[in-house]
Amino acid sequence: MSDVNIVERGRTLVVNPLITCQPLGAMFATLGIHRGLPLVHGSQGCNTFVRYAFNRHFREPAEIAVTSLHEDAAVFGGRSNLINGIKNLSKRFRPDLIGVVTTCSSEIIGDDVEGFMKVAHKELAEEIGEEKANKTKLVHISTPSFVEHHFRGYGNAVKAFVNTLTEEPTESNDKLNIIPGMVNPGDIREIKHILGLMGTEAIVLSDTSDPFDSPLRPSTTESMPFYPKGGTRVEEIADSSNSLGTISLPFYGDDAANSLEKKYDVPAKIGPMPIGVQNTDEFVRNVTKLTGLEASEELLDERGLLIDSMADLCSRYLFGRKVAIYGDPALVMGMARFVCEIGMIPSFVCTGVENPEFVEEMKKVGKESEGPVEVMPGSDLRALEVRLEEEPVDLVIGNSEGRLITRDLDIPLVRVGFPVYDRAGYHRVPIVGYNGSVNLIDRITNIVMEKYYDEQHWKLQQ
Amino acid sequence: MPFDLFEVDKEIPERKKHIYIKDSKDPKEHIPACNTTTVPGCMTERGCAFAGAKGVITGAIKDALHVVHSPVGCTAYAYGTKRYPTTPDMPNGDKFPIDNFNLKYITGTDIRESDVVFGGMDKLKKCILEANKEFPEANAIYTYATCTTGLIGDDIDAVSREVAEEIGKDVIAINAPGFAGPSQSKGHQVANDVLFESLVGTKEPPRTTEYDVNLIGEYNIDGDLWVLREYFDEMGINILSTFSGDCCHDEIGWMHRAKLSLVRCQRSSNYIAKLLKERYDIPYIKVDFFGIRYPTENLKALGEYFGKEEEAEKVIESRMKWIRPELDKLKEKLQGKKVWVFSGGPKNWHLPEPLEEELGMDVVAVSTMFEHEDGYEKIKERVGENTVIIDDPNSLEAEEIIEKYKPDIVLSGVKEKYLAHKMGVPCILIHSYENGPYIGFEGFLNLAKDMYAAIYNPVWKLMEFEQEIEEEISAENHARRRGPS
Repeated sequence: MSDVNIVERGRTLVVNPLITCQPLGAMFATLGIHRGLPLVHGSQGCNTFVRYAFNRHFREPAEIAVTSLHEDAAVFGGRSNLINGIKNLSKRFRPDLIGVVTTCSSEIIGDDVEGFMKVAHKELAEEIGEEKANKTKLVHISTPSFVEHHFRGYGNAVKAFVNTLTEEPTESNDKLNIIPGMVNPGDIREIKHILGLMGTEAIVLSDTSDPFDSPLRPSTTESMPFYPKGGTRVEEIADSSNSLGTISLPFYGDDAANSLEKKYDVPAKIGPMPIGVQNTDEFVRNVTKLTGLEASEELLDERGLLIDSMADLCSRYLFGRKVAIYGDPALVMGMARFVCEIGMIPSFVCTGVENPEFVEEMKKVGKESEGPVEVMPGSDLRALEVRLEEEPVDLVIGNSEGRLITRDLDIPLVRVGFPVYDRAGYHRVPIVGYNGSVNLIDRITNIVMEKYYDEQHWKLQQ
Repeated sequence: MPFDLFEVDKEIPERKKHIYIKDSKDPKEHIPACNTTTVPGCMTERGCAFAGAKGVITGAIKDALHVVHSPVGCTAYAYGTKRYPTTPDMPNGDKFPIDNFNLKYITGTDIRESDVVFGGMDKLKKCILEANKEFPEANAIYTYATCTTGLIGDDIDAVSREVAEEIGKDVIAINAPGFAGPSQSKGHQVANDVLFESLVGTKEPPRTTEYDVNLIGEYNIDGDLWVLREYFDEMGINILSTFSGDCCHDEIGWMHRAKLSLVRCQRSSNYIAKLLKERYDIPYIKVDFFGIRYPTENLKALGEYFGKEEEAEKVIESRMKWIRPELDKLKEKLQGKKVWVFSGGPKNWHLPEPLEEELGMDVVAVSTMFEHEDGYEKIKERVGENTVIIDDPNSLEAEEIIEKYKPDIVLSGVKEKYLAHKMGVPCILIHSYENGPYIGFEGFLNLAKDMYAAIYNPVWKLMEFEQEIEEEISAENHARRRGPS
């Protein structure tokens, strides 16, 4: 049991933010739909910056359209931009789904987005026929950029998919709905793997695993237009009301899960992000509660491999080391608990969101920590940097945005989360589940060895 | 017909006037329509005016702090998107205390819903003051309007003036909200105008020489500026100010003391060169340092201007004596390879001739995101017959270019790179480079090496699994595929 201190950012100015605006999360979620395309109703930066972010992290294409709002739209509204945007995109790309993502501009201008979408659909039906027009589902995702953050934008998109596309339940599909959050392809694949070992399968809302990590096979790739392999099919979303339950790994997927519960009696479980032993155990127990299926021997062996690596590595190399963790609140919540399990102290936990769930979870983490935990909600990377100048730690865990700061502080950075653009392969390697936790232990221990043992190399002899 | 409607554009026939196939018998004014608004929903590769201002121009300044007046998103996106390294060296010999300050920090006003309702000017003022307190090292503060704060009508000029007086430091307001103008290009222009109007003529350089130049439109992408600086140093020509690669804020203030302006990127920074000519009668010449012939000609011209002909010759000779043999070796490998160049603007006319003359490549397609008429005229002059010239291509057109013109390599940005790869075509970055710098003689060699590495990456021969491995079948399959055989 250690002290938990909650520290505010202490200024209005944000310096090196740890969050971005809602539309990014909505675009992310939409790209996880099979033949799904986001159409951003805003300026050209609103999609282009986001494409850069995805391209750099995943090293994959990210096709995101925009309605190209300009001065005239600011005065007269974005009606024709949105209607023409939907029509052009539908006709030329023939997507299964268009996620119409709003921005600060379109929300401030006050466009009647739903109304314009109806007009676009009607005109499309007249021009290309009802049947063809109906093949493209239009989903309105309201994501004003000046409210909350991109994690909420992700949650709002999943909620919009469910509320727009889910059909009345018929009979059970024996599946589980999984809302994975803004995690990596490797993480989603690991969750599917666990469910496979337990004898069930998932409807992933939405499944960004293949679209953001797709094979290079020109002979089988859909082109003109290009679509990546995979993604959640619209029919699967429609079918999500027939599932045995919904698990949202991050707290910010709660709206969609709760909506399915309220409307169609699909029981919802929110969190935790299954990083480490206890959180993965809880995930497995939740799966059992919802499906009646128990952990298989194979899965328990995978758990055993994690326990084995903890027994072998933690006390010798990691115990008592202080770490600072920043980034996605759900990920930081999972990581903080995990570093306690491996004997380290989460001295600083920092996130850009102000949600109370984060602080509540950190109070729990404090009970499991060997040393005091400073909790920095609604904060930014500069605030963390200043604290680390005053009280250095042994390791920092977070995304690439901390690379210059940790370099100047001479503290090694263990890269996790989004974005990681200055190292290779991090989007493929899971950090969730028992296997993911083994990966994390290896990643952390190797960096500790390099930084704190290489000089006295004899200490690395077995 | 000089203009071509692509298959994929059947539904948006207005795209036809943006796609021109070069025919030298056509009148000069036959160029693609350009600098106009994009077709909504077409999947453009363009960005916004704010990106043009902060991302291209001001983000390169080593000692300025940026306060983005926006919801958190624009601030987050303004962080470190371009490869603009800086040194800590200041013109008076001092060292700036924070390394890579321009890449390390970004700040913003974190606009929320209540600010949208009640206005964000008080918040902006508070934030600029906080920014100044957080980073007293910064020599100036630049603040930016964005879509939100532009639409709610915050007067960022007034706030900036007020705070500047209070803190005794320049606070520069840049009014290029994302929705301004058809592309990034509008942001370049606004930044040029604002920096000229508010800074030029306000400072004096620590020393001047008879050989002082402004190097305008050189942003030091991956160290480009440092290549040119070496040439100039060896010639005894002093770069008094760069606009704005690895420059400090004060350098812009004394641009009026140069003897000559050299305009490197002629899309993003013509404006300030023209203003310097108009107001201070500083002549400017447009320079081109990509490839071999252009830097040779331009260094010679510069040598002639300053009476440094011999020095120029030495710079050229010392490089070319070791670069020429290297290039010749690469030419053997790159000869006949087809290229599609997709740049923001001027690299469309910088690169085609060097690629063809020096390396024997065949430029089959060129396209830009935001070039204007003058740029397209130059592009048209410099590309070969039947090369397709495309303004603001969208990603479906990109696929059609690849299908139709079958380039062996694409030179473009990161948004297009992985799409090209998925179609089995190598692609290298020319906005931020692979292993740059790409400017000057050494830079052109780097580019040639990167193209070689990309085209001859063994992966392109391993694309598909083959059940039968008899030699003839395998050879036949290879022949069917793109890439070298």
